[in-house]
Amino acid sequence: MTSRPREAGDAAPRRRTVLLSGLAGAGAGVVTSAGAAVARERAAPRGGGGGGGGGGGGAPPAPPAAVARERSAPPPPDPRLTRARARGRAFRGEHQAGIIEAPPAYGTFVGLDLAEGTDRDAVRRLLTVWTDDIERLMDGRGPLTDLEPELAAVPASLTVTVAVGRRVVETAGSAVPSWLAPLPAFEKIDALDDRWGEADLLLQVCSDSPTTVAHAQRRLVVDAGDLVRPRWVQRGFREPFEGAGLPMRNLFGQVDGTVQPDVTGIDADLLWTGAGAPSWLRGGSSVVVRRIRMDLDRWDRADRVTRENAIGRRLDDGGPVTGGGVDAAADFSATDDLGFHRIDDAAHMRRAHASVPHERFLRRPYSYDDAPEDADLSNSGLLFVAYQADPVRQLVPVQQRLAEADLLNLWTTPVGSAVFAVLPGARDGEILGQAMLG
Amino acid sequence: MRSTMPTTRRVAIGAVLAALTATGVAACGSSESPSGGTDTAATGSAALTLEDGWVKEVTDAMSSPSPTMSMPSESPSADGDHMHGDGDHMHGADMSAPMTAMFGTLHNGSDEDVTVTGGSTPVAGTVELHETVRNDSGETQMQPKADGFVVPAGGDLTLQPGGDHVMLMDLTGPLANGSEATITLQTSAGDVTLTVPVRAFSGAEESYAPSPSSS
Repeated sequence: MTSRPREAGDAAPRRRTVLLSGLAGAGAGVVTSAGAAVARERAAPRGGGGGGGGGGGGAPPAPPAAVARERSAPPPPDPRLTRARARGRAFRGEHQAGIIEAPPAYGTFVGLDLAEGTDRDAVRRLLTVWTDDIERLMDGRGPLTDLEPELAAVPASLTVTVAVGRRVVETAGSAVPSWLAPLPAFEKIDALDDRWGEADLLLQVCSDSPTTVAHAQRRLVVDAGDLVRPRWVQRGFREPFEGAGLPMRNLFGQVDGTVQPDVTGIDADLLWTGAGAPSWLRGGSSVVVRRIRMDLDRWDRADRVTRENAIGRRLDDGGPVTGGGVDAAADFSATDDLGFHRIDDAAHMRRAHASVPHERFLRRPYSYDDAPEDADLSNSGLLFVAYQADPVRQLVPVQQRLAEADLLNLWTTPVGSAVFAVLPGARDGEILGQAMLG
Repeated sequence: MRSTMPTTRRVAIGAVLAALTATGVAACGSSESPSGGTDTAATGSAALTLEDGWVKEVTDAMSSPSPTMSMPSESPSADGDHMHGDGDHMHGADMSAPMTAMFGTLHNGSDEDVTVTGGSTPVAGTVELHETVRNDSGETQMQPKADGFVVPAGGDLTLQPGGDHVMLMDLTGPLANGSEATITLQTSAGDVTLTVPVRAFSGAEESYAPSPSSS
């Protein structure tokens, strides 16, 4: 044991009140930022929260035997810290957290596979552990076995979202949604690498603190014990100062995440599964995680006119090249002096534009910027993360149009793709996946 | 069972039986069923509760030794390395008898001190109350706590790796991560029955000294 004595500042906060409030919008034009932000009043920490250090150093290992409940008041913290501590998000509810809320700045996506021979009881035990862990972590507390709960004390809008692949549903003995399968191959553009491929489980871990993300990811993977093994980890980031006046931009410099469905309003049916999905998935969704490599070095050779033409939007504010702000509707019929469409026939915006209302989905992308491999100068791109009730109905038609013709394809390459069913939320007394497990 | 899933902040106390007097260190090894079965309903007179309690997983109690706490057959002072490595302490003749332990925070909500004197559980033949001390070689080891655990009136006792803990020995089978174990503590305020979640954990590898004077 090398743990250190518990310190007075060890926070084991307790949720007392949950207040729903509006969220500051993520990017300009992101219509879905009205998700549940949760402000909480935290009671004074107790000395005996989960886990805790024993002896160590030069002191005898015996822990504080009888810990009185009172503790001295800590010095007033940095206001930034106070805000980050208070920004916990509610775990329990009809839907899982981490979907409709504005995405925090850091997101890690972990694909995991079940151990060989896993049966339904093992799936239940796994989801029992994760439910307990996630509820504690989102509340700013360490999981039961956590000897470093200090790393959990600042949730900073932490959410952990659990999604499952076909094998988990089959192991649980429940009906598999028809769309829970790899997307069809997009042969003109795909260069899929199995190292970013389909997995049995997905953990989406998001927070405004990368330390909090790392700790939560670590605990969830370790606490699963030998029930699962990580298959891939994809780390992403967004703009920490994203908000009014500063939109999300991808690493091409393009404003991203515009034109989202109103999933907290009239478009809710586009997000949460309906009658077409198995009943155990009611309140759930689907998520598609595609790793899109962006060739920054080739992009460097394109001038700004070429870049704007490729997408159909201005680079400075993200508005359509036909005029107006980032929220403005594009004028797809506008032509220039020579009679050509001002928005190119193969511009990303034109090709991605929904031809029918249901070809929309909630995007929650993160950029990645990893260490270059081989002789490359960069290894960067976008973790394209899309939530929708039915990816085959909503996403695939759009993706097929983009695969057929999209100027951006000159610079982008899908290298990973995985589809998961997002479990419904856990209500009081439930574990995640309760209905799936029967 | 599900009602005591680990999201419960407090695992409440079961039936309070006639108070037992202190029975010394090693609790009886009989694995009689915990009484009461009222895992979740705290009785009005319940003095002790367990918060954030958990038991370390044991993947295979019956065959090969698991990387969990095991009892060296020789005196712990015979080998100074066995509590620091990852499994290199798994030596000796009793490796087929893995152990595990329960941790958490015992809270005494009453106005009087409560002494935990022993325990029993269907999952283990023997339950002991252990403290962790340093032996003459400066090594950390655990040993039975002769006078039991005193939980002060209105206060807490933290059971944690590297500190006081409730030792489960002579396990009757594996304890799977994500399952639950039922453990009854004998206390000066009566028996308390706990339903405690089982969790994977790679720590708590201290060696065991069967008697307090063995170091």
